[in-house]
Amino acid sequence: MFASNQTFVVAAYAVTWVVLLAYLWRLARKGGRARADYQRMAEVQGAGRRQ
Amino acid sequence: MSAPERPRESRPAGPPRTSIWFGFASFGAVVAAQTYAILTSPAEGDMGHLQKIMYVHVPAAWMTFLSFFVVFVFSVRFLWRRRENDDLIAASAAEVGATFNGLTLMLGMIWGRPAWGVWWVWDARLTSTLVLFLIFVGYLALRAFVDDPQQKARWSAAVGAIGAINVPIVYMSVTWWRTLHQPPSSPATLDPAYTMGLRLNAIALLLVMIYLIRKRYEIARLERAIEHMAEAAAMGQGGR
Repeated sequence: MFASNQTFVVAAYAVTWVVLLAYLWRLARKGGRARADYQRMAEVQGAGRRQ
Repeated sequence: MSAPERPRESRPAGPPRTSIWFGFASFGAVVAAQTYAILTSPAEGDMGHLQKIMYVHVPAAWMTFLSFFVVFVFSVRFLWRRRENDDLIAASAAEVGATFNGLTLMLGMIWGRPAWGVWWVWDARLTSTLVLFLIFVGYLALRAFVDDPQQKARWSAAVGAIGAINVPIVYMSVTWWRTLHQPPSSPATLDPAYTMGLRLNAIALLLVMIYLIRKRYEIARLERAIEHMAEAAAMGQGGR
Protein backbone atom coordinates (compact mmCIF):
# COMPACT_ATOMS: atom_id res chain seq x y z
CA MET A 1 0.00 0.00 0.00
CA PHE A 2 2.76 2.40 1.02
CA ALA A 3 4.77 1.66 -2.12
CA SER A 4 1.84 2.53 -4.42
CA ASN A 5 1.00 5.63 -2.37
CA GLN A 6 4.63 6.69 -2.59
CA THR A 7 4.42 6.55 -6.40
CA PHE A 8 1.50 8.99 -6.35
CA VAL A 9 3.32 11.30 -3.92
CA VAL A 10 6.41 11.34 -6.15
CA ALA A 11 4.18 11.95 -9.20
CA ALA A 12 2.47 14.90 -7.48
CA TYR A 13 5.76 16.62 -6.60
CA ALA A 14 7.18 15.87 -10.07
CA VAL A 15 4.10 17.36 -11.78
CA THR A 16 4.35 20.46 -9.57
CA TRP A 17 7.96 21.09 -10.57
CA VAL A 18 7.40 20.30 -14.24
CA VAL A 19 4.49 22.78 -14.43
CA LEU A 20 6.29 25.56 -12.51
CA LEU A 21 9.57 25.21 -14.41
CA ALA A 22 7.84 24.87 -17.79
CA TYR A 23 5.94 28.11 -17.13
CA LEU A 24 9.14 29.82 -15.97
CA TRP A 25 10.91 28.63 -19.13
CA ARG A 26 8.05 29.96 -21.27
CA LEU A 27 8.31 33.35 -19.54
CA ALA A 28 12.08 33.46 -20.01
CA ARG A 29 11.74 32.77 -23.77
CA LYS A 30 8.87 35.23 -24.19
CA GLY A 31 10.80 37.90 -22.22
CA GLY A 32 13.93 37.35 -24.29
CA ARG A 33 11.97 37.72 -27.53
CA ALA A 34 10.18 40.86 -26.29
CA ARG A 35 13.46 42.51 -25.24
CA ALA A 36 15.08 41.71 -28.58
CA ASP A 37 12.05 43.10 -30.48
CA TYR A 38 12.06 46.24 -28.34
CA GLN A 39 15.76 46.76 -28.94
CA ARG A 40 15.27 46.36 -32.69
CA MET A 41 12.33 48.81 -32.76
CA ALA A 42 14.28 51.32 -30.67
CA GLU A 43 17.22 51.11 -33.06
CA VAL A 44 14.96 51.59 -36.11
CA GLN A 45 13.29 54.60 -34.47
CA GLY A 46 16.64 56.03 -33.44
CA ALA A 47 17.97 55.68 -36.99
CA GLY A 48 14.78 57.33 -38.34
CA ARG A 49 15.19 60.31 -35.99
CA ARG A 50 18.86 60.77 -36.92
CA GLN A 51 18.05 60.91 -40.68
CA MET B 1 32.76 65.43 -14.18
CA SER B 2 29.50 63.75 -15.11
CA ALA B 3 29.21 60.31 -16.68
CA PRO B 4 28.39 60.26 -20.40
CA GLU B 5 24.69 59.78 -21.07
CA ARG B 6 23.59 56.58 -22.82
CA PRO B 7 21.60 57.13 -25.98
CA ARG B 8 17.89 57.05 -25.03
CA GLU B 9 16.77 54.87 -27.91
CA SER B 10 19.00 51.95 -26.92
CA ARG B 11 17.60 51.73 -23.40
CA PRO B 12 14.85 49.10 -22.94
CA ALA B 13 11.59 50.61 -21.65
CA GLY B 14 9.03 49.19 -19.26
CA PRO B 15 9.34 48.47 -15.58
CA PRO B 16 12.74 47.62 -14.10
CA ARG B 17 13.57 43.95 -14.50
CA THR B 18 12.24 41.73 -11.74
CA SER B 19 15.25 40.69 -9.72
CA ILE B 20 16.56 37.27 -10.65
CA TRP B 21 17.53 36.89 -6.99
CA PHE B 22 13.88 37.16 -6.01
CA GLY B 23 13.23 34.31 -8.45
CA PHE B 24 15.98 32.16 -6.95
CA ALA B 25 14.83 32.98 -3.42
CA SER B 26 11.18 32.10 -4.13
CA PHE B 27 11.94 28.80 -5.89
CA GLY B 28 14.56 28.03 -3.21
CA ALA B 29 11.90 28.64 -0.56
CA VAL B 30 9.68 26.02 -2.26
CA VAL B 31 12.51 23.48 -2.20
CA ALA B 32 13.17 24.21 1.50
CA ALA B 33 9.47 24.12 2.48
CA GLN B 34 8.83 20.86 0.61
CA THR B 35 11.93 19.25 2.13
CA TYR B 36 10.86 20.34 5.62
CA ALA B 37 7.28 19.08 5.13
CA ILE B 38 8.31 15.71 3.68
CA LEU B 39 10.94 15.04 6.33
CA THR B 40 9.00 16.17 9.40
CA SER B 41 5.37 15.15 8.83
CA PRO B 42 4.44 11.69 10.11
CA ALA B 43 2.31 9.24 8.09
CA GLU B 44 -1.36 10.11 8.54
CA GLY B 45 -3.71 7.55 10.16
CA ASP B 46 -6.05 6.96 7.20
CA MET B 47 -4.09 8.14 4.18
CA GLY B 48 -0.54 7.27 5.21
CA HIS B 49 2.09 9.14 3.21
CA LEU B 50 -0.48 10.17 0.61
CA GLN B 51 -1.22 13.09 2.95
CA LYS B 52 2.04 14.71 1.71
CA ILE B 53 0.27 15.65 -1.54
CA MET B 54 -1.62 18.21 0.57
CA TYR B 55 1.56 20.35 0.77
CA VAL B 56 1.45 21.00 -2.96
CA HIS B 57 -2.26 20.62 -3.75
CA VAL B 58 -3.71 22.96 -1.09
CA PRO B 59 -1.20 25.86 -1.60
CA ALA B 60 -1.68 25.57 -5.39
CA ALA B 61 -5.45 25.95 -4.86
CA TRP B 62 -4.90 28.97 -2.58
CA MET B 63 -2.63 30.62 -5.17
CA THR B 64 -5.33 30.02 -7.81
CA PHE B 65 -7.84 31.87 -5.63
CA LEU B 66 -5.39 34.69 -4.84
CA SER B 67 -4.40 35.18 -8.49
CA PHE B 68 -8.03 35.39 -9.57
CA PHE B 69 -8.72 37.82 -6.74
CA VAL B 70 -5.96 40.02 -8.22
CA VAL B 71 -7.66 39.64 -11.63
CA PHE B 72 -10.97 40.73 -10.10
CA VAL B 73 -9.52 43.80 -8.33
CA PHE B 74 -7.54 45.04 -11.35
CA SER B 75 -10.33 44.27 -13.83
CA VAL B 76 -12.77 46.35 -11.79
CA ARG B 77 -10.14 49.06 -11.45
CA PHE B 78 -9.61 49.04 -15.21
CA LEU B 79 -13.34 49.34 -15.90
CA TRP B 80 -13.46 52.26 -13.48
CA ARG B 81 -10.27 54.16 -14.36
CA ARG B 82 -9.37 52.82 -17.84
CA ARG B 83 -5.67 52.63 -17.10
CA GLU B 84 -3.65 50.36 -19.34
CA ASN B 85 -1.45 49.06 -16.51
CA ASP B 86 -4.49 47.72 -14.61
CA ASP B 87 -5.43 45.67 -17.67
CA LEU B 88 -1.89 44.31 -17.98
CA ILE B 89 -1.70 43.35 -14.28
CA ALA B 90 -5.09 41.58 -14.51
CA ALA B 91 -3.97 39.70 -17.64
CA SER B 92 -0.66 38.68 -16.01
CA ALA B 93 -2.44 37.42 -12.88
CA ALA B 94 -4.98 35.54 -15.04
CA GLU B 95 -2.24 33.63 -16.85
CA VAL B 96 -0.44 32.72 -13.62
CA GLY B 97 -3.78 31.85 -11.97
CA ALA B 98 -4.76 29.56 -14.86
CA THR B 99 -1.40 27.79 -14.48
CA PHE B 100 -1.98 27.22 -10.75
CA ASN B 101 -5.58 26.20 -11.49
CA GLY B 102 -4.45 23.56 -13.99
CA LEU B 103 -1.84 22.35 -11.49
CA THR B 104 -4.49 22.13 -8.73
CA LEU B 105 -6.71 19.98 -10.95
CA MET B 106 -3.84 17.65 -11.90
CA LEU B 107 -2.71 17.26 -8.28
CA GLY B 108 -6.29 16.61 -7.19
CA MET B 109 -6.56 13.82 -9.76
CA ILE B 110 -3.25 12.30 -8.63
CA TRP B 111 -4.56 12.35 -5.05
CA GLY B 112 -8.04 11.11 -6.01
CA ARG B 113 -6.89 7.96 -7.80
CA PRO B 114 -5.41 6.22 -4.71
CA ALA B 115 -7.74 7.90 -2.18
CA TRP B 116 -11.12 7.53 -3.96
CA GLY B 117 -10.23 4.90 -6.55
CA VAL B 118 -11.03 7.24 -9.47
CA TRP B 119 -9.12 10.00 -11.26
CA TRP B 120 -12.19 12.20 -11.59
CA VAL B 121 -15.76 12.52 -10.28
CA TRP B 122 -18.33 15.16 -11.23
CA ASP B 123 -18.36 16.36 -7.65
CA ALA B 124 -19.29 20.00 -6.84
CA ARG B 125 -15.74 21.02 -5.85
CA LEU B 126 -14.03 19.37 -8.79
CA THR B 127 -16.61 20.54 -11.31
CA SER B 128 -16.62 24.16 -10.09
CA THR B 129 -12.79 24.19 -10.14
CA LEU B 130 -12.86 22.90 -13.73
CA VAL B 131 -15.41 25.59 -14.66
CA LEU B 132 -13.11 28.23 -13.11
CA PHE B 133 -10.21 26.88 -15.19
CA LEU B 134 -12.27 26.95 -18.39
CA ILE B 135 -13.41 30.53 -17.73
CA PHE B 136 -9.81 31.74 -17.46
CA VAL B 137 -8.66 29.68 -20.43
CA GLY B 138 -11.46 31.48 -22.29
CA TYR B 139 -10.20 34.81 -20.89
CA LEU B 140 -6.71 34.10 -22.27
CA ALA B 141 -8.12 32.93 -25.62
CA LEU B 142 -10.14 36.15 -25.85
CA ARG B 143 -6.99 38.20 -25.32
CA ALA B 144 -5.16 36.18 -27.96
CA PHE B 145 -7.83 36.61 -30.62
CA VAL B 146 -8.94 40.25 -30.19
CA ASP B 147 -6.52 42.62 -31.94
CA ASP B 148 -7.78 46.05 -30.86
CA PRO B 149 -6.08 46.77 -27.48
CA GLN B 150 -9.00 48.88 -26.16
CA GLN B 151 -11.61 46.28 -27.03
CA LYS B 152 -9.39 43.49 -25.71
CA ALA B 153 -8.92 45.29 -22.39
CA ARG B 154 -12.65 46.11 -21.97
CA TRP B 155 -13.91 42.63 -22.85
CA SER B 156 -11.31 40.77 -20.81
CA ALA B 157 -11.91 43.05 -17.79
CA ALA B 158 -15.60 42.13 -17.95
CA VAL B 159 -14.83 38.40 -18.26
CA GLY B 160 -12.18 38.63 -15.50
CA ALA B 161 -14.46 40.42 -13.05
CA ILE B 162 -17.44 38.12 -13.68
CA GLY B 163 -15.29 34.97 -13.88
CA ALA B 164 -13.63 35.63 -10.53
CA ILE B 165 -17.07 35.52 -8.88
CA ASN B 166 -16.74 31.74 -9.30
CA VAL B 167 -13.88 31.73 -6.72
CA PRO B 168 -16.12 31.97 -3.61
CA ILE B 169 -18.45 29.38 -5.19
CA VAL B 170 -15.50 26.96 -5.56
CA TYR B 171 -14.39 27.66 -1.99
CA MET B 172 -17.86 27.20 -0.49
CA SER B 173 -18.87 24.27 -2.72
CA VAL B 174 -17.82 21.68 -0.11
CA THR B 175 -20.04 23.40 2.47
CA TRP B 176 -23.04 24.15 0.25
CA TRP B 177 -23.30 20.72 -1.42
CA ARG B 178 -22.69 17.13 -0.34
CA THR B 179 -19.39 16.29 -2.01
CA LEU B 180 -16.82 13.52 -2.12
CA HIS B 181 -14.13 16.17 -1.59
CA GLN B 182 -13.32 16.75 2.05
CA PRO B 183 -13.96 20.15 3.78
CA PRO B 184 -11.30 22.84 3.16
CA SER B 185 -7.89 22.10 4.71
CA SER B 186 -6.36 24.98 6.65
CA PRO B 187 -3.95 25.33 9.59
CA ALA B 188 -7.05 25.74 11.82
CA THR B 189 -8.54 22.37 10.84
CA LEU B 190 -5.30 20.35 10.73
CA ASP B 191 -3.44 18.24 13.25
CA PRO B 192 -0.56 20.41 14.62
CA ALA B 193 1.97 17.93 13.17
CA TYR B 194 1.05 19.11 9.65
CA THR B 195 0.39 22.81 10.28
CA MET B 196 3.91 24.20 9.94
CA GLY B 197 4.58 22.28 6.71
CA LEU B 198 1.39 23.64 5.14
CA ARG B 199 2.12 27.22 6.27
CA LEU B 200 5.69 27.14 4.93
CA ASN B 201 4.62 25.68 1.59
CA ALA B 202 1.84 28.26 1.24
CA ILE B 203 4.28 31.14 1.93
CA ALA B 204 6.86 29.72 -0.49
CA LEU B 205 4.30 29.29 -3.26
CA LEU B 206 2.99 32.80 -2.56
CA LEU B 207 6.50 34.14 -3.26
CA VAL B 208 6.61 32.13 -6.51
CA MET B 209 3.18 33.48 -7.49
CA ILE B 210 4.29 37.09 -6.86
CA TYR B 211 7.48 36.50 -8.83
CA LEU B 212 5.64 34.96 -11.80
CA ILE B 213 2.99 37.72 -11.93
CA ARG B 214 5.69 40.43 -11.78
CA LYS B 215 7.71 38.70 -14.48
CA ARG B 216 4.64 38.29 -16.73
CA TYR B 217 3.63 41.92 -16.14
CA GLU B 218 7.12 43.10 -17.06
CA ILE B 219 6.87 41.21 -20.38
CA ALA B 220 3.32 42.50 -21.00
CA ARG B 221 4.52 46.10 -20.59
CA LEU B 222 7.39 45.51 -22.94
CA GLU B 223 5.05 43.97 -25.55
CA ARG B 224 2.67 46.94 -25.20
CA ALA B 225 5.59 49.37 -25.59
CA ILE B 226 6.55 47.59 -28.83
CA GLU B 227 2.93 47.89 -30.07
CA HIS B 228 2.95 51.64 -29.30
CA MET B 229 6.27 52.08 -31.12
CA ALA B 230 4.98 50.16 -34.15
CA GLU B 231 1.82 52.31 -34.19
CA ALA B 232 3.89 55.50 -33.93
CA ALA B 233 6.16 54.33 -36.75
CA ALA B 234 3.15 53.48 -38.95
CA MET B 235 1.57 56.89 -38.23
CA GLY B 236 4.86 58.60 -39.05
CA GLN B 237 5.11 56.79 -42.38
CA GLY B 238 1.47 57.54 -43.18
CA GLY B 239 2.02 61.23 -42.44
CA ARG B 240 4.92 61.54 -44.86
